[in-house]
Amino acid sequence: HNRLPTNFCRSATMAAKKDETSKEEAAASDTSTPKSTEESKSVVTVPPLIAAGKRLERLLGGKKTAATSSGGAAAGATAQPHGLPGTGSAATLTSTVEAVLHSNPPKIVRRWLGTSSGAARDATLDDVVGAAGALLDPAGVAARGRDVLLALAPDAGISSDGAAAAAASGAMEVDGEEKKDGEEGGGEGPTRPVYLVAAAREVEAYLLSLAIRLLLAADDAHAVQKAWAVSGAALDILRGHMDAAARATARAGAAGALGGDSASAGGAGGGLGSKGLEPLLARLYRYRCLVAEKCVVDTEALRSELVAAHRLACLRRDVDTQSTVLNLLLRELLAADQVEQADKLLSNSTFPDSASNNQLCRYLYYSGRIQALRLEYTSAFSNLSQCLRKSPTNTGLGFRIATQRLLVVVQLLMGEIPERTVFLTEGMRTELNPYMKITQAVRRGDLAVFHDTVSAFADRFKEDGTYTLISRLAHSVVKAGLRRLNTSYSRISLPDVANRLGLPSVESAEFVVTKAVRDGVIDATIDRAGQYVQSHDLVDVYATTEPAEAFHRRIAYCLTMHNDAVRGMRYPPDAYKKQLEASRGIVPKDDEDKTDEELAQELEDEMDEEY
Amino acid sequence: PPPLFYLLLVPVTLPTMTDLSALLTDLTGRVDSGDVEGGKATLANLKIALLDADPTSDTTAQIATSALELGVLLSAADGDLDAFARNVSQLKPHYASASATAAASSRKNHIIGLNLMHLLVDNRLSEFHSELELLSTAEASSPEISFPIHLERQLMVGSYDEVLAAGSRVPHASYGLFMDHLLTTVRDNIADCLEVAYKTMTMDDAVRMMKFGSVAELQSYMEECRDDWIVEDGNRLCFAPPPTGRKADDIPSKKLISNTLTYAAELERIV
Repeated sequence: HNRLPTNFCRSATMAAKKDETSKEEAAASDTSTPKSTEESKSVVTVPPLIAAGKRLERLLGGKKTAATSSGGAAAGATAQPHGLPGTGSAATLTSTVEAVLHSNPPKIVRRWLGTSSGAARDATLDDVVGAAGALLDPAGVAARGRDVLLALAPDAGISSDGAAAAAASGAMEVDGEEKKDGEEGGGEGPTRPVYLVAAAREVEAYLLSLAIRLLLAADDAHAVQKAWAVSGAALDILRGHMDAAARATARAGAAGALGGDSASAGGAGGGLGSKGLEPLLARLYRYRCLVAEKCVVDTEALRSELVAAHRLACLRRDVDTQSTVLNLLLRELLAADQVEQADKLLSNSTFPDSASNNQLCRYLYYSGRIQALRLEYTSAFSNLSQCLRKSPTNTGLGFRIATQRLLVVVQLLMGEIPERTVFLTEGMRTELNPYMKITQAVRRGDLAVFHDTVSAFADRFKEDGTYTLISRLAHSVVKAGLRRLNTSYSRISLPDVANRLGLPSVESAEFVVTKAVRDGVIDATIDRAGQYVQSHDLVDVYATTEPAEAFHRRIAYCLTMHNDAVRGMRYPPDAYKKQLEASRGIVPKDDEDKTDEELAQELEDEMDEEY
Repeated sequence: PPPLFYLLLVPVTLPTMTDLSALLTDLTGRVDSGDVEGGKATLANLKIALLDADPTSDTTAQIATSALELGVLLSAADGDLDAFARNVSQLKPHYASASATAAASSRKNHIIGLNLMHLLVDNRLSEFHSELELLSTAEASSPEISFPIHLERQLMVGSYDEVLAAGSRVPHASYGLFMDHLLTTVRDNIADCLEVAYKTMTMDDAVRMMKFGSVAELQSYMEECRDDWIVEDGNRLCFAPPPTGRKADDIPSKKLISNTLTYAAELERIV
């Protein structure tokens, strides 16, 4: 039977088959679903942001709030139609599964962030403020964030009283379902809104980041200033939470351990570790730098802030923040054209291996750019091609275009001509057109034409930030031109060379050829008396070790790929068992089911791959 | 009894703005008149005075910037490359912080141009290009800065004749120090190129290509650095023929063996 149905109604009945608590759950949801559908016809249904917050609460709450999860599941269920596809699978998780997942809060939060992106996309500032009013306890851990968000209410067009009222009414029917179970961390009587306990700080940070993003999107100076203030406040709040959590764990020792035990969550969420906040901290730093780019800001202060954040992240083994902040620092330095400083940062820091793929792509792009500016073309080339290979194919077209541009220029600087198909990729054709013209000019080997093309597209290159790199190409043009002449003529007069290459005089042509000979670009001798260049590279390249080297490079690459693939293979669990049992003649029984723990592990592994 | 040295602590009066400005005008005068020794002494005094001055005020920053710029010019005139490098590195933070606020000093382009020349002569090309990144378009097209940029391009392409001719086109006399260094480097490069590209050459042609004044200069140069050049018939230069013949050492046997062994090991692993 279908274990992961997308239809949420079936999921409630499915869950009932599994175990005891779920029977109650089914009963609860069965009776409550008709009730909520009645209510949904008459009252406003739970907004997606609030539903997302409750979902995180459930995910992080673990065993203790399993009863809440039934109410939460129903609330989540009613909110399903509001554009949160594929979250039905989350609703089917049993409490034991939650316990397993709970052992890794950053992963939960990251996954939750991914699934809530649908809700976030459609949210407006009103929704954010409403959700803040509904979900965050004014007397609890998330009080400061709540105040900051509610202070944005005037911008959102609703008064803070209105926000509280909407929140209360929104929380009403949710509360009505939760009346069934008395075990609730923060909620009390039917008239008070139900606040989040376990997920309070995460949801607070999330709502703050949404608010910043919305203010940025508004795109006027006043909103940008506000966004700057909010981002500063948000970072303060979050850092305070993490420090408090660190201090609490230091005091409590093993009992209140990081990533913890929901039993210690009795301390109003203060016992829980700060690990779940890490993805959100990284996100907040990213938004802060985005805001900084839009408004005029003291770069020194921003840089020292980022450096301090990086140090803290390294100490706390916070991979997300470490990678994000490092990328932000590199971006900031490159934007200020401080190439030497960026290079020193690159050589003095390490990029964590377990960072997410997107951060890795960004890191590769920035390192490639820095190396290209510092004349280290081979390493730049390998970094940029790796970046292009690893970047996502369905989104981020702008990023891929930027990388491709830089890659083309680096190839030209190395003396290779990129293939024509590169310029004709879907969606990149118009963007890469100037670069195609430059490549053609380089291929022709005519300096005059090259200079003309460069001045024609100069503004475009300056915008792309590749102008300085392209102005270095004069040397490559000459090299390419000389090579062509050398292969096509066994003997050519010096004035002709000067003519073809667009060089100013015959004497400079002579010097240029001698330099090329010394650099190994061509193999020729000059006869000064006769004023001609005699080429003699009739050497059979297969008689040298060149082919062996070329083959070796390709073979090494293929073998590394093969080894990586073998290491990265994943087999469905127990796949070999079936074969083994079949070979031994044991017929598998049908109702021999796996235990819940194994199911949970399987689910986790599957979701791992998707992420 | 209280230690005696406490009594020796004389309260130091902070130098006022007028003191600093007076020192600065003195320094400017000396640099303009070409008094190198006196200029260095005044510069040292000014630097000590600046240590005690208020570091946050704008005028102090301006005075410091001007002082360091004059120091750079002094060391360029003196031919002291270490002092030059020191002053420039002290000057850089001032330029970086003052970029947004204070007016760009009139000598900034000059100093940057000199620094670029220095990097070029030292063959520190990656730093040269990084410096270029920091320049705005307006700065890059000023004569002091476009001079080193063009020089670098010509050096890369190999039109050495233009490089050597550029010696007459320097935008400022202080570039002279670097042009001399550059000339020697360029000559070495040309000599290398000649060795490889020509089989034989007349002495006169060689003199012309390497931009020597006379055959005598060429001969002294040859004795110094190029003793493998043979003079035939009193007039023709013959460059040493490249080694011919193939030996067993030519085959990179160790490398080939190690490569083949790795292939065998890896292939063995493929099930």
